[in-house]
Amino acid sequence: MGASIKLQGVYKQYGDLKVLEDWELLIRPSERIALLGISGSGKTTLLRLLAGMETPTGGSLEVSTNHIGFVFQEPRLIPWRTVRQNLRFVNEQANIDELLNNLQLQGFADYYPTQLSGGMKQRVNLARALAVSPQLLMLDEAFASLDLKVKVNIMDDVLKLWEQHRFTMLTVTHDLKEALYLADRILLISSLPSRIIHEFPVTLNEARSFASPELMRLEGELLKLVCGD
Amino acid sequence: MKGLSRALAGIIIFLVCWQILSFIVSKVIIPVPRETLGLLAQHLIDPGMLEAALQTAWKVGLALGLVLLLGIIAGLFLGLSEACYDMFRPIIMFIQAVPVVSWLTLVIFAWGIGWRGPVFIAFMSLLPTAILTTVSGIRSLDKDLLEMARVYRVPFKKVFYNIYWGSLLPFIAAIIDVTIGQAWKVVLVAEYLAGGSGLGVEIFNARLVVDSAGAWSVTLMACILGIATERMVKFFLRRILDRWGPA
Repeated sequence: MGASIKLQGVYKQYGDLKVLEDWELLIRPSERIALLGISGSGKTTLLRLLAGMETPTGGSLEVSTNHIGFVFQEPRLIPWRTVRQNLRFVNEQANIDELLNNLQLQGFADYYPTQLSGGMKQRVNLARALAVSPQLLMLDEAFASLDLKVKVNIMDDVLKLWEQHRFTMLTVTHDLKEALYLADRILLISSLPSRIIHEFPVTLNEARSFASPELMRLEGELLKLVCGD
Repeated sequence: MKGLSRALAGIIIFLVCWQILSFIVSKVIIPVPRETLGLLAQHLIDPGMLEAALQTAWKVGLALGLVLLLGIIAGLFLGLSEACYDMFRPIIMFIQAVPVVSWLTLVIFAWGIGWRGPVFIAFMSLLPTAILTTVSGIRSLDKDLLEMARVYRVPFKKVFYNIYWGSLLPFIAAIIDVTIGQAWKVVLVAEYLAGGSGLGVEIFNARLVVDSAGAWSVTLMACILGIATERMVKFFLRRILDRWGPA
């Protein structure tokens, strides 16, 4: 079961710089949300608030779980620990073999991060997030540095895992297609101080395809909205 | 094989240079290699000299052990707290700047002649290196890894072992690398001036009777022991680092 998130009048300020302004948001359990905005629009700040890495300057923020998986933009794996040890680092009881099998990493448990490709490291990053049996999975531009084929493969894995575990999923991205592919609802974020300026429901069926005409059509609509056309 | 023959060639060049120098300078100041090496061979089977070598070796070991233990602990605290670092930095700089002879005066007043002086002097001479290297290690920690650990609420003990300790290991290896050779030299000097026993005292005794061959043969013995321990420690260190995984 996924977690719920409730933000009421949340704002965040660093000195004089207002990053988030008056955020009102309700995310229901098992919902898939994408936050779409330009770089430096405070998307990551919101994830950091939700993950408990920072506290809001004002307003109220409720996350109904402590089981949070976080897929960082860069893998942040401990270089001198093997894949298995990296996963055990966050949860000693995690079923490593099952996690690695689910993410096509079988046979790589005893490899060090330096022995893995960028895509594989990102899969381990995802496996680590899943190792804590998350009720909330946050992906912070997690696929930005990957080539298209690897990116689509990993996104397919994420969607399959969501089907199995139904965690709440919050994706931060500036890629329209990625947002459409992974989310049920897209929140368009303004530049600083950031606010939600539009909500875009994704009306794709569950069997999604990255090259489907429907996704392309929605991308066109979303693009018009983003560009203010 | 190529490396071995080059090393042998290097030793031969060294001996030839030594021989030439002893002819040019004076056999009293620089004794000929044959005489010195003959004496060295005698030392290596002389129980008294082996006892002296052992005396020096355990002082080096004790000083190094204390430097590593206290230097790393102090370095950890200073590395983690900017305020502590700023407060203790003048003391560290002072310790680093004090010449060995000043420590000698202090230890002779405090303990007279004996083993404590060489150990203390070696400890004080090497401590700043250990502290400052550990501080550098802590400061070069990947903050993203620490943030990742915080997001996943990993207990500090586990974070310390997996992230802090892992990051520090190459720096600890560097401390040992730098200090082990220094420790031998400092202990020998301290023994020479304030030690009750050890190879430094043997060099002092040889000097008293103007036995330069004796002094150089003991020096050679100290060099061989120093290089041997350095190689041995580095060998085990490499194995530990390899087992830990690539940094």
